[in-house]
Amino acid sequence: VTDAVQTLLAPDRVAGGQAKISRVVHQLRRVIIGKEQVIDEVVTALLARGHVLLEGLPGLGKTELVKALSKLLSLEVRRIQFTPDLLPTDVTGSHILQEREGRREFVFHPGPIFTNLLLADEINRASPKTQAALLEAMQERRVTTFGETRPLPAPFFVLATQNPIELEGTYPLPEAQLDRFMFKVDIAGVDQAVLEEILVTRVHGDPPALEPVLTASDLIDLFSLVDAVHLPRGVANYAARLVAASHPASPQAPESVKTFVKYGASPRAAISIGAAARSLALVGGKPNVGFDEVRRVAAPAMAHRLVLDYAARLEGWDGRRVVAALLESVPEVERGLPRTLEAR
Amino acid sequence: MSQLPAPVQLVMRRLARHLAIGLFLDLWPTWASVGLLVSGTVALVCRMFLSSAAPILPWLWLTPILIALPTLGIVWRRAYRPHEVAALADSLGGGQGVLLTLLETDHSAWARSPLLEKGSAVALPRLRLRRALTPLVPAVAFLAVAMMLPQRMRTADTNPILAEQIAADLSAAVVELKQQELITPAEEQRLEQEIERIRRSAEERVDASSWEAADALREQVVAGLSEKQDAVKWAQDSLARLAAAADGSGASPDAQAAELTKALEKLAQSGMLAAAPADLRKLLKDGKLPADPAALRDLAAALGKYLSETNGRFAGLGKLGKEFGRFDPSEFPVGTEPGTNGDGLPGNGGISRGRGDAELTWGKETQPFDRFKSKPLPPGAARTPDDWSPVMVLPGSPQESATLSGQSDARQYSATAGQGAWRRSLAPRHQTAVKKYFDKNDKNDKQEKKDKQDK
Repeated sequence: VTDAVQTLLAPDRVAGGQAKISRVVHQLRRVIIGKEQVIDEVVTALLARGHVLLEGLPGLGKTELVKALSKLLSLEVRRIQFTPDLLPTDVTGSHILQEREGRREFVFHPGPIFTNLLLADEINRASPKTQAALLEAMQERRVTTFGETRPLPAPFFVLATQNPIELEGTYPLPEAQLDRFMFKVDIAGVDQAVLEEILVTRVHGDPPALEPVLTASDLIDLFSLVDAVHLPRGVANYAARLVAASHPASPQAPESVKTFVKYGASPRAAISIGAAARSLALVGGKPNVGFDEVRRVAAPAMAHRLVLDYAARLEGWDGRRVVAALLESVPEVERGLPRTLEAR
Repeated sequence: MSQLPAPVQLVMRRLARHLAIGLFLDLWPTWASVGLLVSGTVALVCRMFLSSAAPILPWLWLTPILIALPTLGIVWRRAYRPHEVAALADSLGGGQGVLLTLLETDHSAWARSPLLEKGSAVALPRLRLRRALTPLVPAVAFLAVAMMLPQRMRTADTNPILAEQIAADLSAAVVELKQQELITPAEEQRLEQEIERIRRSAEERVDASSWEAADALREQVVAGLSEKQDAVKWAQDSLARLAAAADGSGASPDAQAAELTKALEKLAQSGMLAAAPADLRKLLKDGKLPADPAALRDLAAALGKYLSETNGRFAGLGKLGKEFGRFDPSEFPVGTEPGTNGDGLPGNGGISRGRGDAELTWGKETQPFDRFKSKPLPPGAARTPDDWSPVMVLPGSPQESATLSGQSDARQYSATAGQGAWRRSLAPRHQTAVKKYFDKNDKNDKQEKKDKQDK
């Protein structure tokens, strides 16, 4: 039990926040048809001020989703197409020698990273050196060049995309980079009904015109609401046990983790789960986090943080399947029911 | 928990009660089963070896109740805390985390929210009573079977009833002898002490030795009675002979008086005079016969009467003994008198014939005229070698030559002795030279022998 009694968010504030989020989600669903779960996960991550890695085949609406978000949230958006010859200064910006008032001096020209919403398209095509240019920006939301550190505009999000099939000439993201993404959202293909809907509603595939539904102040207000969502200690305990059990050396680790996982999720994963669960609770109109929210955000928050063994690839196990096994084996409450009681 | 809304409190209380029952049922059936198994083992051991514990065995059924007490203590100590109950309720109610939040936060603004109603809608867990109590079934069955086993009684166990019966039989015999005035108070006291000793011994352990001790005491009593009877008879005979001597038809009166005196001493020693009438004892005067003939006659009359009465009492004792349950001295024959089988040989029969300490015999020995007579065997016929004849002649066996039969081997082969070897080992061109050499030597030897003879 917490030492100081917190005050629960007022119902009207929760309802107001939920209404704003619903407007965003509704508009996004107009743009991206048949991807409700992807939209929910991306919105959840953005409200939790997390970065998102979108992985999917070309043409599934990844870029469209980012563009729609930027329009709806009234955010400045920049796009960087990552290529092997992209340099770090192409991302962060560089100092250029300029003459001012008869004096020559280095003037910093900010790169495209100085924006609210950065679309890092095909991030795995850039060299590790260029990928590393994002590390400081993603974690600390600042950029250091020539020994000068500059803050990034708030809010700052990175929505990166990567193609899972074209692996030639790519540089897989290092673990440190992956760990900085709150969610990794897998974008699967669409079924026949969705395709039919797209054909009927879209001409040349153009999305409907969007108007901003949230201002910057609304977004900041939403952020404060998310932070105020109550995370009960019992639920936090569940999230902590989930992350701890993802390590093969943990006594609570299930057999699949011991077999297929080389390194478990980091503490940053637990932090991401907590933040995302708060965000998801607000999306659902709740003033508190429950076990259900933790279960729903566990897969996108943890799957990409697990370093799997080669055996996992051979056996067809991926991060999401391991997390599903974790959710199956780790009980929500540490001290469960007595053996003679059975949940209905 | 008081700050929680009433419906939530109710749910929490009901769940906490369920959890407590579940905790109890997690522990108690297992422990009770172990307790029942131990009780069953104890009952089994008592049924087999400890008959005195039989009355307290039904109390073993209280073992599960006794075990329930410490179990309740443990359940109380391990009881779910409020936040654990709330977490379980939240988990059972769909994982909304509402109850946990209500516990940890100031939720006054949400008092009338539908969220609370949703959060308090918890389906209580189902109690699996059958599965919980299943371990008790074999344990209860084991204890029941152990309790239903019949109590095993040791054959050599203490039996106060039997001991009392043995003592009562002996006491009845003593009382009967006392009524017949055939034992003295000292004898009666000694017998009672013996009876008490036998009774105590039988109370500790009733076996053959108890009955043997009782029989030995009866035999002792009978032996004493026989001795007394002999003394009475001797006194009667002596009195009769003294009367005859006084009439002049027997030996000298002094000798008969001396014998009567000895008989009376013997009678006094056996204690039979103690029960004599006072006037008789007065006449006897310290066991000596009076010198006065008149007093002697009175004494003889009184003594004769007393001895006749005593004999009558002995006879009466024998008659009463024939009745069921009465002491019968004839059951314990004294001495080597012929038994009921009439042979009079010791140890020659079963337990009802002869004394147990008689010499052991193996039955009637064979009489000399019935013994087996020694019969000499016919002389043996020694076989001669001529009796042996070849049964068959196998091919390759040496054949007996009829012509050379009877000649010695040396003579048989002397003519050709060494010839074969000679021919085999010497080349033909050397044979002549060797022959000449030996012939010459032979000739020389013969010549030397001849010269010596001549000399």
